[in-house]
Amino acid sequence: MTDGPRLEGPLPPAALDDPHLTPYAKHPERAQAVAAIAMVVGFLAFIAFGVAYWVDASTQWEAATLGVGLLFLGFGVTAWGKYLMPQGPFVEERHAFHSTEAEREAMTAAITERGGMVVKRRKLLGGLFLLGSTAMGLVLMFPLIRSLGPKPGETLFVTNWKKGSKLVTIDGREVSADDLEVGGVLTVFPKGFTGSSPDQVILLRLSQTLQPLTPPGRTDWGVLGYVAYSKMCTHLGCPVGLYQEQTQQLVCPCHQSIFDVAAGAIPQFGPAPRPLPQLPITVDATGILVAQGGFNQPVGPGFWERS
Amino acid sequence: MRSLLKARYAAPAALVGGMGIVGLLAFSPGMAPADASPTTTSPPLTATTATTTPIGHRATPSVSSVLANRTPSNQTGIYNVELPAALIAPGQALFAANCSSCHGPEALGTVRAPNLQGLGAGTVDFWVSTGRMPLANSSVQATRKPPRFNRLQTLEIAAWVQSLTPGLGVPVPLVNTNGADLESGGTLFTLNCAACHTITGAGDALMDGAYAPSLHLATPTQVVEAIRSGPGNMPHFGPGNITDTETRDISAYVTGVLQHPANPGGVGLGGIGPVGEGFVGLLVGVGALMLVCFWIGDRT
Amino acid sequence: MIDKTIDKSLRWVDDRLGVAKGGRTFLDKIFPDHWSFMLGEIALYSFVVLLVTGVFLSLYYIPSAHEVVYHGSYIPLRGQKVSEAYASTVGLSFDVRSGLLMRQAHHWAADIFLGSIAVHMARVFFTGAFRKPREFNWIVGVTMLILGIVNGFLGYSLPDDLVSGTGIRIAYSIIESIPLVGSYIAFFLFGGNYPGNGLIIPRFFIIHVLIVPLVLIGLLAAHLGLLVKQKHTQFPGKGKTEHNVVGSPMFPTFMAKTTGFLFMVTAVLFLLGGFAQINPIWQFGQYEPYQISYAVQPDWYMGWLDGALRIMPSWEWVGWGHTIPLEVFLPAVIFPGIIFNILIVWPFIESRYTKDLAYHNILDRPRDRPKRTGAGAAMLTLLGMTFFASSTDVLANFFQLPLKDVLWFFRIAVVVSPIIAYVVAYKICLEMRAAEGIGKRKRAVVIARSESGEYSTIETAPRPGDGSAELDAIPVPTFIDLVPPELATDEGVRRVMR
Repeated sequence: MTDGPRLEGPLPPAALDDPHLTPYAKHPERAQAVAAIAMVVGFLAFIAFGVAYWVDASTQWEAATLGVGLLFLGFGVTAWGKYLMPQGPFVEERHAFHSTEAEREAMTAAITERGGMVVKRRKLLGGLFLLGSTAMGLVLMFPLIRSLGPKPGETLFVTNWKKGSKLVTIDGREVSADDLEVGGVLTVFPKGFTGSSPDQVILLRLSQTLQPLTPPGRTDWGVLGYVAYSKMCTHLGCPVGLYQEQTQQLVCPCHQSIFDVAAGAIPQFGPAPRPLPQLPITVDATGILVAQGGFNQPVGPGFWERS
Repeated sequence: MRSLLKARYAAPAALVGGMGIVGLLAFSPGMAPADASPTTTSPPLTATTATTTPIGHRATPSVSSVLANRTPSNQTGIYNVELPAALIAPGQALFAANCSSCHGPEALGTVRAPNLQGLGAGTVDFWVSTGRMPLANSSVQATRKPPRFNRLQTLEIAAWVQSLTPGLGVPVPLVNTNGADLESGGTLFTLNCAACHTITGAGDALMDGAYAPSLHLATPTQVVEAIRSGPGNMPHFGPGNITDTETRDISAYVTGVLQHPANPGGVGLGGIGPVGEGFVGLLVGVGALMLVCFWIGDRT
Repeated sequence: MIDKTIDKSLRWVDDRLGVAKGGRTFLDKIFPDHWSFMLGEIALYSFVVLLVTGVFLSLYYIPSAHEVVYHGSYIPLRGQKVSEAYASTVGLSFDVRSGLLMRQAHHWAADIFLGSIAVHMARVFFTGAFRKPREFNWIVGVTMLILGIVNGFLGYSLPDDLVSGTGIRIAYSIIESIPLVGSYIAFFLFGGNYPGNGLIIPRFFIIHVLIVPLVLIGLLAAHLGLLVKQKHTQFPGKGKTEHNVVGSPMFPTFMAKTTGFLFMVTAVLFLLGGFAQINPIWQFGQYEPYQISYAVQPDWYMGWLDGALRIMPSWEWVGWGHTIPLEVFLPAVIFPGIIFNILIVWPFIESRYTKDLAYHNILDRPRDRPKRTGAGAAMLTLLGMTFFASSTDVLANFFQLPLKDVLWFFRIAVVVSPIIAYVVAYKICLEMRAAEGIGKRKRAVVIARSESGEYSTIETAPRPGDGSAELDAIPVPTFIDLVPPELATDEGVRRVMR
């Protein structure tokens, strides 16, 4: 790495026969011929694109003609520049662009001295202007931010599941107790709220021999092998739709958290921190599955206000 | 121009080109041109399921005669076949020769294999016609491979297993995908199947070495049999969950749309989403342009 | 005739704007010719393609979550209730002539825009081009990278399809995870609990087509303006010093090459856009918050965040009536925050560490700065590992490995491999510097055998340009001023005094 001396005075211009003006190509006529052919191909390809467009040809024809046109025309121009134009090398001087010391001092002085002259004498005005501008800046943030949407309030803590809510499919069909076989899985919503994201529940029917694995106090939260959990993953809210039936595991397809369905959807692996909230369900007099109440905790991912 | 052919470009060009081609090949399993244009997608007919020729020297009913005159119901598109009794005896012989060593002579199961009684002819048909049975390697999940038996033999084995517990389990369905509601099939597929099999049916890994297989080789019959019988880690979807018509629609969607995806944009890059796209974009796109930079600029 | 017209027009404009002097200086500008200085141009021209194709798309896309029934050409979707955003994007793909080409070219251009920024940034980093006086330009560049990533995410989320909608759900939860204000920001931005009141699509749209592109264009102008003012850096070599720039002139040589390159970049983007299908949203279906597909990842430039989210253990802090979901907050907020902050302040970290406050217009060979090269290699390895970690399930399926093993591999690799990369890169740099004759072309060595059987070598002459004269500055003409030989004087004609 050389620092090199600064050259004194301007450098001489190039005469017409200067080697720096000669093209890079050893056989310029050949290079020109190649570039010319490329540009002709490009020209024809653009015509072809026009035709392809008007006959509504497939995307591939449009791309091929347009792409070939651009590629060859571009290649021609680039080859012209690289092989046929003055190759140099040429030199340009770098000039220090920072100002002289005197200019810098004058600039600083302009700000400090003039500013000081004014502000130091009128401290009250300066302070008041600062106060006013700060207030303006702060309150202008209000419409920009607060008007965007509602406050969370209690919304994250409740769903539409209540005591007696009927379980329905996405089509609104009520789910009866013989609908699912053992090993079956179904996405359900509370009646009247189909498609509502926070209310999405995954209903599974397990073999009743898995009963002993149920967490204490929840033995009556399922019925006839049916258990229901919030379908929103407690990691980032993806629907946990992947049910591995032989191992009774719900796997979240997004980041592969695993939940043990027979044991209260406790996470066994992966980034999910909490079990899927369980919905207590039972069968009503007509054989339809209904909820015994809402969830006992907020559904979905964690947030600051969640205790 | 000639500089492009110089040896110093050969190595980087070969590297980028080779990796790009590898990437394109790896991510484009079926590089056959998309045959179905989107405006003329038509669901395939069920006749394609019964194409194998029967064993010539035996005077046994042919597949077509077995399944002839059993037209699928116009209502649901699914007709559950009752396999004729003539298939049972040859089925028992085949079972004894090929399956009983693991499943036991009465298909009640052993330490090596589960009990097949009560599962139904459709379940057996699924496992055997996809080639998963006879099992090649018992330490990993059974993989689809070329079936060992032809269609008639498969149905014979299925008939015999069904005869052990008549009326129980999943029957063999005849599926008529004509007139299926592809929109409904797609919606149902997305809600019930995409979480394991992916939205394009490409399949993906599950826990503990299991995997959800690709759906690109499934026949309409196999799709319906799988939905009803829930093989392996797949859940069981009975008629109370997904009706016969809905299974027909899903089957038509899988075999008509997923297996012949509309790829008007070019090479499909494997249908596994942005992974393949990023690979191609970086290697082929940025790589090719870097080669152009090599050509245009100095290399000193 | 043309000469006269140009002369008259130029005088007319110069009378009003005074552009002739600056214009001549600009046309004389010298650009160093090294190939690695063109990587930023790939990004620049991809951006141009993004703008042009983006204008086309914006004339057809409807930024609305309002539900309509699809009636277009794609049969499997007919009759389905979808959002106008989704329907209009499928319409662009099937029912607008050349619409699919523009859509795909736009998406490929975005991927390649960010890919070329990454390569360009790596070049700038490893050669130390960010040092004084170019720290501003580095910061502008990193800011453009961040804005590009954000805009890419917003852009591919606009079609409201199943794959990108999943990403929006994840983005909502990440915002929610911020302590104290997370739920408020999420509710404000989306208009309520997820999925919000439907305003998120139009908001994404306006940010994607107006706000971020305006800022990007401004930053781009600053980036290029700084480049013009401070002049480009150059590698050490024949005739190159800290006080000059050696290369080809702006007009005509560089302009020809760069215009041709613009065409070729556009060509590659349109060829990809027509032959390699990208984001086939009609196969994914409309997004519904209760539906999901397996094997979903974000676009490649967001992959490192998804990978970080996957490998993070499930640590959540709960106490005193509050929750901080660290398993989300750390990998998705803190981790990228740290990375981007390190990137932005790197020139100052380095100048403080090396105590080097001098101007630098000559670039480093990466091997001459082993610690910086090692640090860069470690950073790239870290980001590369988290990037690969975003496809754990696809890798497990492809290589037929258990999913848990693949995940544990990445958990360990993300910590260990950057350290290994640093050490390996450092050692390679030292080795390369120590190797005799490194960087010079191989010289033929003649081997002679004496009668007694002894071997000896006879050196041949060095190739031209390999000798010690390589670095001596030689006077070369400074600009093209075509003077016929008979008129050439010492002073020359039409020389501009600077």
